[in-house]
Amino acid sequence: MKLNLQPSISSPQDLKSIILEIRQYAHWFSQYTVKMRASDSQPEGPAPVSQVAATLIKESSGKEQPSQKHLDDLIAGLEALETSAPRITITLAAPAPGSLKKVLVQWCREHVAPGVLVDFRFNSTLLGGMVVQYGSHVYDWSFRRQILNARGSFPEALRRV
Amino acid sequence: MTGNLFLQIFVILDVFIIGGAAAIAAQHAYAHFRPDKHEPEKPHSPAGHDHIPAAVKERLLQESQNKLETALNHSVARLQHDLANTTEQINDMVKRLATEVVGSELEHYRTDLAKLHEQAEKDLGEIKKNVDSHQAELTTMVAQELEAEKQQLIKQIDTKLGDAVGSFLLETLQHNIDLGSQTPYLLALLEEHKADFMKEVVDETQPAA
Repeated sequence: MKLNLQPSISSPQDLKSIILEIRQYAHWFSQYTVKMRASDSQPEGPAPVSQVAATLIKESSGKEQPSQKHLDDLIAGLEALETSAPRITITLAAPAPGSLKKVLVQWCREHVAPGVLVDFRFNSTLLGGMVVQYGSHVYDWSFRRQILNARGSFPEALRRV
Repeated sequence: MTGNLFLQIFVILDVFIIGGAAAIAAQHAYAHFRPDKHEPEKPHSPAGHDHIPAAVKERLLQESQNKLETALNHSVARLQHDLANTTEQINDMVKRLATEVVGSELEHYRTDLAKLHEQAEKDLGEIKKNVDSHQAELTTMVAQELEAEKQQLIKQIDTKLGDAVGSFLLETLQHNIDLGSQTPYLLALLEEHKADFMKEVVDETQPAA
């Protein structure tokens, strides 16, 4: 099953949360189906599910009505993705706002890998820029690193003042 | 050395000459004051004495004595004169030889002194040259060490200054961070290093050979 993760599902924690949510929904859906068969009355309303999970469920079932099989396939696909998806860790100088997260995740999924999971962290001593860890490589593009690298040129710059 | 030998030979020769002259003078003086006793000539005949009167005889004897005395005085005077001349010549010769010897020794001394002076000047010049060379080396070495020390101090000051400026910037900039304005910059960074990511993806997906 090919899953198209939304930018809001960026980190492994997000994915785990979605899996848990869909699993709960699948459990509810199972009970809902049994109740529907047992009585003619309409059971109580559907389990509360987030917009992201609802979109995923809808995409996984296509034009058909969601079934237990669809939900199980979706959970299996998400769990497989959780274990096999490439992961990137981006450390910023402050907690990343949603819009920035969305932009960065979208870029990563367009240029690095479609199902890549991006974990965001923050470290105020970075001042700006970011530190990206992918695989065994750490790319330090922070302002702090640039300032530390440019320490030798400060005296020269001060002499010219 | 040759002058000394010649002077010794000459002095010895003069001593012999003076000795000879002194012996002759002594002989004459002895002969004068102690004449030999001649046996009186026996008259050939007793009648002979009668021919020379006593006055004449006395006069002749007196004249002979005077002549002998005059000749002896004359000889003594000549001898004294010769002796004085010889003494004067010997003195002159001795003076001249002494002067020559002293002059020669002085010249030799001057030559040696000049050689020593020249050698001393040469040694002194060499010493001065060595001292100058060593001084130049020391000057160069000290200048190099001073320059190295100066550069090291400048480097240390620059390092401390860079650390101070870096610490100041890190301390002051971390209190007001705006990530929203950094979004284009972050995307540009990712775009700039996209090739690195792609290479990493390839390395991750391809199993190690």
